[in-house]
Amino acid sequence: MMRALLPALLAVAVAACSVDSAPLLASDVAIVKPLPGTQIGAAYLALTNATGQQITITKIASPQFAAVAMHESILEHGVSRMVALQELDIAAQQTVVFERGGRHLMLMRPVGALDNVTLQFFADEALLLTIDAASAD
Amino acid sequence: MGLKSIFIAIVAVFAIGMGAWLSYQLAVPPAVPRTATVLPATAGLPDFALSDQHGNRISRDAFVGRWSLVFFGFTHCPDICPLTLQVLANARQKLGDAGHIPLPQIVLVSVDPERDTPEILGEYLDYFGNDILGLSGNIEELRKLTSALGIFFEKSFTDDGDYSMNHSAVVLVFNPRAEFHALFSAPHVVDNFIHDLPLIMSGS
Repeated sequence: MMRALLPALLAVAVAACSVDSAPLLASDVAIVKPLPGTQIGAAYLALTNATGQQITITKIASPQFAAVAMHESILEHGVSRMVALQELDIAAQQTVVFERGGRHLMLMRPVGALDNVTLQFFADEALLLTIDAASAD
Repeated sequence: MGLKSIFIAIVAVFAIGMGAWLSYQLAVPPAVPRTATVLPATAGLPDFALSDQHGNRISRDAFVGRWSLVFFGFTHCPDICPLTLQVLANARQKLGDAGHIPLPQIVLVSVDPERDTPEILGEYLDYFGNDILGLSGNIEELRKLTSALGIFFEKSFTDDGDYSMNHSAVVLVFNPRAEFHALFSAPHVVDNFIHDLPLIMSGS
C-alpha cells in the first residue's frame, strides 16, 4: 500500500517544493555520446536523495534517445557482465554514484542532436528530476 | 705523501666504491612486473582467419614481429570496453612520450561478430587513435582463438529482446613470436601498463 502511495506522495512533494528543495539532486553529470559506429552512449552522475524517505527510481527517459536504462558493469572471476537494474533505491539523505566501470546509464538509439541531453528521472509516473547537460565525445 | 701512499689511497677508494655498488646490487631486488602475470611457459597462437576493420584477411601472422596487447570486447558495450581501449591507448601514448620503442600494437577482437562488421569496427576504433587492429568475422574462427586462449564470451539477452555480451576482461600480451606471453587482469589502470610493459617486453 505504502509502495503504491509513494509515487503520489513524491509527486505532491515535488509540486510543493521549490527548486532549492528538490527531492532528488544530481551532480558530477557526464554524458558520453555514442562512439562512432555505435548507437549506445552512457551517462555518469551522482544522485542524492534530499528527502527523509527512500526514493525508488523506476524509469529514466530522454527526448534525445529512444530508451535509457540503468546498468551495472560487474567484474566477476575475470568476466565483465552488464546487469540491467530495473529499479534503483536511494535511501534517505544518501547518494548513489554512477561511474565508469560500475553503475551507468545506457543511452540507446539516439533520435536527434546530442549536443545537449535531457534526462528525466521517475518514481513510477512521478517526475522527480530533470537535468540538461552538454554531452562530450 | 709518497706515490705508494697515493696508489694505496686510490685502490682503497675504488675498493670501497665497488663494495658499495655490489651491496646495492645485491640488496635491491630486480624490477619485476607489478600487476601483470608473466606465463611460466608461453603458448603459441592457433591458426585462425578473421577480418580486420578494412576487410583484410588476418591470421596469426599479424602478431608476428611485434608485441601486441589483445582485448576481447564489442562495440555495443558502452562502459568497460571503451574504458579499456582508452586505458590501452593512453598507456601506449605515454610509453611513446617516454621514448619506449618499440610500442605494442593494440588489438580488439570482437566477441560480437554478428553486429561488429568491419565497417562498424573501423568507425569505432578510429576514435581511439591509429594503430589499433580490430578483428571480427566467422564465429567458428573466433572460437578457435578464444578456446586456445581461455577467453570466455556469451550472449546475454535483455528484456527488450536485445542482447549484451558477457566476456573475459583480461588483456593478453603476445610476444613478437605470436606467443601468449603475459596477461593483465581487470580492472585496468594506465600506470600498471606503463610500469609493467617495458619489463615484460625486455624479458624481465
